[in-house]
Amino acid sequence: MSSLPATAGLALAGALELNDAEVCFVGIGNPSDAALLAKHTHAPDMTLIYESGVIGSDPKTPPLSTGSPSVSNGALMITDGLTVFAELQAGRIDVGLLSAAQVDITGNLNSTVIGEYASPKLRMVGSGGAHDIACCAKRLVILMPHDARRFVERVDFSTSPGTSNERANLKLGLGPTALITERAKFTFSTGSAQLAAVMPGYTEDQALEDIPWTIEKASDFQVVETFDTQAVRTAETRLAYLFS
Amino acid sequence: MADKTASLTDAVKSHIRDGDTVFIAGFGHAVPFALGHEILRQNIKDLTLCRAGTDILFDLMIAAGAVKKVIFGYLGNPGIGLGHAFRRAVKEGKIEYEDWTNFAMILRLHAARLGVPFLPSRILQLGDMPKALPDLKFMDCPYTGEKLACIPALKPDVAIVHAQAADRNGNIQFYGIDGDTVEGALASDKIIVSVEQLLEPEQIAQAPERTRIPAHRVSAVCEVPFGAHPSYVEGYYGRDDEHFYAYDKAGRDAETLQTYLKEWVFDCPTRDQYLETIGAKKLSALKAQSSGRMP
Repeated sequence: MSSLPATAGLALAGALELNDAEVCFVGIGNPSDAALLAKHTHAPDMTLIYESGVIGSDPKTPPLSTGSPSVSNGALMITDGLTVFAELQAGRIDVGLLSAAQVDITGNLNSTVIGEYASPKLRMVGSGGAHDIACCAKRLVILMPHDARRFVERVDFSTSPGTSNERANLKLGLGPTALITERAKFTFSTGSAQLAAVMPGYTEDQALEDIPWTIEKASDFQVVETFDTQAVRTAETRLAYLFS
Repeated sequence: MADKTASLTDAVKSHIRDGDTVFIAGFGHAVPFALGHEILRQNIKDLTLCRAGTDILFDLMIAAGAVKKVIFGYLGNPGIGLGHAFRRAVKEGKIEYEDWTNFAMILRLHAARLGVPFLPSRILQLGDMPKALPDLKFMDCPYTGEKLACIPALKPDVAIVHAQAADRNGNIQFYGIDGDTVEGALASDKIIVSVEQLLEPEQIAQAPERTRIPAHRVSAVCEVPFGAHPSYVEGYYGRDDEHFYAYDKAGRDAETLQTYLKEWVFDCPTRDQYLETIGAKKLSALKAQSSGRMP
């Protein structure tokens, strides 16, 4: 097992998916942590966009919501929701980062209901901007804590659509290209999740533990032996709350 | 110009009716809690509430029994969890709801603002969301043949908004995180605004670019310091995150939530009583927490 807390491992693994100078549309929580970590390590010229209408955000403390003060303090631009979603739909956002209550093998995400839509066991918060990000970002990176309840055969409700042959026809983005947990990376080149990497401190068995999918190994499967020491140090200082 | 200033009581009494569709401004920032609380104290019923990303004010108004229907992109306690009153109301079949996305809600309001019946969009064509919106229509673009969803206009009867400052005529100055605040206000037939500070028309006129809602669209303006607490107002005070955690805790149990409503809404008919309930120490801490940023 890894010596890192799961939250820190997830942010470190997620950050590896982001490249310098990319424009990222980020959700709150794990996605925000991973994007910030990337920005403060190998991707200083990355632009973070939050759906509340903030561009070039660099929160000093973890924001509770996309509308929180730390999202706008020190940002490059505060505009409105229409402006940032316009950039998204026009295909100008390189990567979307999302998390959710449930994910399935084709990368569908559920944040709407557990159970039937009309008479749910649990009513959740709904899409927010997640559906929009999943549809329109050029590619989507999903961040999920390794928690067996979150990995399901088929999501109860597909709030944010996964891979689909319809996407090109509808002029939408690629959809999920990576699903990251603190233990593994899954990719979707065949349309379904394949195990592409095992994260530092975990075995292949642990990476797939309790995930109810029939998983193939990606042709470029790799074992990530260790995270960059400098990235871990940055996480410990800039994102200390991930370690508490 | 006409003097639009009014007390909270009169502004709500004069402009909001049972059964109205109400846009509630504030994407996490400058959420009009004081106006919302006043609606509850006046026992206005059967409201349809709408906006993109809601704050706990939606959930609170559901808990108080004022809401017939919600039209939203997100409904919960941002960053903390579920809207517990909403969760229970859905389970008990006591509320109608339309699940849109935040972008879809912005487009719905923008269409109303533009005065057109719908706007075409690429979203809402995949996954289960279109199935949960049985009235949603689709089209082939008459120019390109591309498949698009037709996002219908949503024109609220009245918008309630909180902002930094205004003059007595109702020129509203607003800055900081906007989300769909100005969009929803200008989409609505009537606009009711509370502000931190009323200023002289000459002062407001010194920076007309800061005026985001013009006087001729505003029906009433009330001066209500801390009128967005427990959310925040850029330049004035910070967000009371602890209060949002306390609301989550209270909301888990229906009865405890009624106690919260009594303490924070029904037992605070005046603004002084509300500020006393927050407490002087907390008020000064929240002020100190503010960025103090002015445009």
